Amino acid sequence: MTHHPKERANSLSRRGFLLRGAGAAAALYGAPGLLAACSNTTSVPAGAGGEQAGPGGLPLARPNRRVILPRWEDPIESGLKPETGGTFTVFNYPSYLYKKLLTEFGAKHDVAVQYTPFDNINSGLQRLASGAVTPDVMEITPDTLNIGVAGKLIKPLNLDYIPNLQKNIWPQLVDPFYDGESRYTVPYTCYATGIAWRADEIKEDIAAMDQPWDIFWESQAYSGKVALLSENRETIGMALLRKGITDINTEDPALVDRAVSDLKELYGICNIKVDDLQYQTVPEGSSWLHQAWSGDMIAGYIYYLPKGTPASALAYWKAPRGKVPVQNDCFAICSTTKKPVLSHLFLNYLLDNGIAYSNFVNFNGYQPPLNEIDPSTLVRKGVVPENLENSVLTDGDFGPSSLQYGTLTSRGQQLWEDGYSNFLAGGGS
Amino acid sequence: MYHRWLWPAFALPGVLWLVLLFIVPFYAVLGVALGTVDPVLFQPVPIWNPLDWNVGWLSEVLTRLGPGGIWFDVEVRTIVYVLISLALCLLIGYPVAYYTARHAGRWKGLILILIILPLWISYMMRMLAWVNLLQLNGWVNSVLMFTHVLSQPRDWLGGSASTVIFALVYGYIPYLILPLFAALDRIDRSHLEAARDLGASRWSAFRTVTLPLSKIGILGGAVLITLPMFGDYYTPNIVSGSPKTTMIGNQIDLYFHGGPQPTIGAALTIVMAAFLLVLMLYYLRSIHRAQHETGAVGAL
Repeated sequence: MTHHPKERANSLSRRGFLLRGAGAAAALYGAPGLLAACSNTTSVPAGAGGEQAGPGGLPLARPNRRVILPRWEDPIESGLKPETGGTFTVFNYPSYLYKKLLTEFGAKHDVAVQYTPFDNINSGLQRLASGAVTPDVMEITPDTLNIGVAGKLIKPLNLDYIPNLQKNIWPQLVDPFYDGESRYTVPYTCYATGIAWRADEIKEDIAAMDQPWDIFWESQAYSGKVALLSENRETIGMALLRKGITDINTEDPALVDRAVSDLKELYGICNIKVDDLQYQTVPEGSSWLHQAWSGDMIAGYIYYLPKGTPASALAYWKAPRGKVPVQNDCFAICSTTKKPVLSHLFLNYLLDNGIAYSNFVNFNGYQPPLNEIDPSTLVRKGVVPENLENSVLTDGDFGPSSLQYGTLTSRGQQLWEDGYSNFLAGGGS
Repeated sequence: MYHRWLWPAFALPGVLWLVLLFIVPFYAVLGVALGTVDPVLFQPVPIWNPLDWNVGWLSEVLTRLGPGGIWFDVEVRTIVYVLISLALCLLIGYPVAYYTARHAGRWKGLILILIILPLWISYMMRMLAWVNLLQLNGWVNSVLMFTHVLSQPRDWLGGSASTVIFALVYGYIPYLILPLFAALDRIDRSHLEAARDLGASRWSAFRTVTLPLSKIGILGGAVLITLPMFGDYYTPNIVSGSPKTTMIGNQIDLYFHGGPQPTIGAALTIVMAAFLLVLMLYYLRSIHRAQHETGAVGAL
């Protein structure tokens, strides 16, 4: 059973005191003075809102609860010339940006572009905070944005330098709920979470099932070939959705415990596996049924489908709008940058129609939220096969009624992490 | 005065090495495990002063590891996997080391090189190579079906314990063979000849002379492979991926992976280290005894 953080023996520690302080901090929408009150990252501002707050006491954004984050410093002035010479460092997941495009950007602005990878965004932010890396720009996600802002690790933007945001990007993400007025971020890629499978091996018509997530609990025949994403939010969130619980940001221990118990049933049903290799294992056929992000199937089709295997062997399902978890990755400027103007230009470069599209179809497989991209055009151009058209998202998928994994309170994060640890331990079911 | 410090000074690099690369990092892990966490960045904030240490995380970890705790099964599984792997390594490795030390003759050097050869390639690469070999249509299944050992391909990578144990054995066995070989090679043949002259059979001579005299090598090799095996997490990840085959190292990896509770990972590391320390103390005691016994045999 997952332990509720309140039950922990260490609840009387200094840490517990700080966390309680964070939990009690006010959720002040767009309170501009919030961060100004923080002399360092460990300070937690007091407030009287009574709502749950995330790291640094910043309010928790949800698709139906837009948050404008306070600026901890003024953005750079408009009209400055970009810096040249030296190195420009991009901090991102490994192999998540087309190197050719980076080289071209470097050549255009007379800088050597260096690509520094991180394992995941949390550990990347920790490395940034420790001073182990000093990048100019980095990838960040909406659910880790609070850490970046509260820790003063990313800089406020001056959108005058980023006209492509307004010009090319879906309206829902020009002024997104997690970063109202795009004060700190621009969107990079977007994706949904669904099910990928080998249509030539799986007999069931998954898309036609009353509750397609049930397929994992009915996959005895495919034992050893079934896997879930190796992410605590995704696995537990999927088990919640299967039971019709659409609050995928719940911090109710009973709900999380129940979801973990359900996941543990999968040991005996299909000897469930966990990994994030679905973009490769499903096309190659070593996995037949996998929880997957929509971009995985496009990337899998482009890069990993063996010669002779038809595209029709791949299939993808995602729930209808309002029931499907969707997410987007972002880019932000790090506070360690010595080239703030050039960093703005880089963000603008990423949102250029041609650049973003090239990064998508020639390397990444994860679609950028460009107005000019629509599923039928991609199918017509042969970028995406017809049977995977549903893995392409549109602006409407990101409305206020969409499901998105948001930042949790510290206690919520512990609850989900411990729940996943319980599942990963493989004990009792 | 000069002579008094000369010889101890030779130990200085080793002492510095030990302090810098073992004692200081270990104290840092202790400071993290008994420390706190930055509530914004979720970075561990070590507490260096033992008087301020917070034992809450350790107590939490011990609760989880205890019977009925969420980690009890993975803890037992880890011990079972390591013990089976160790037994298999000994069963396979001892004859190889014995043959190399005693009967290989001029081929001794070549055999040793062949044993060490796989270590020239990274552990991860070797495991990934096995992933290819163990595929449904991989060479392992092809050979086993060709030789009629299997009638149909076996799904080795479907999340089975046997594959994880096999991979552990494959990955660590060279580290057992080398100290074993060194111990067996050092045994004075005159001891065996004396045993045979006194009427001992080959088996009896092995059981009463060779085996006891190679105890130091067995224990040394066992320690050398069990310590890293207990902390292994990538082997089950690569060749299985099933939660039913995870080891305790996977939990440490999970909590050190940028989440909000790195202190849990550090506390688990400390508990593991304490457990392994018990094994180490047993090893040191045994080695002391074995040296004493060897000395006695040598004196005969």
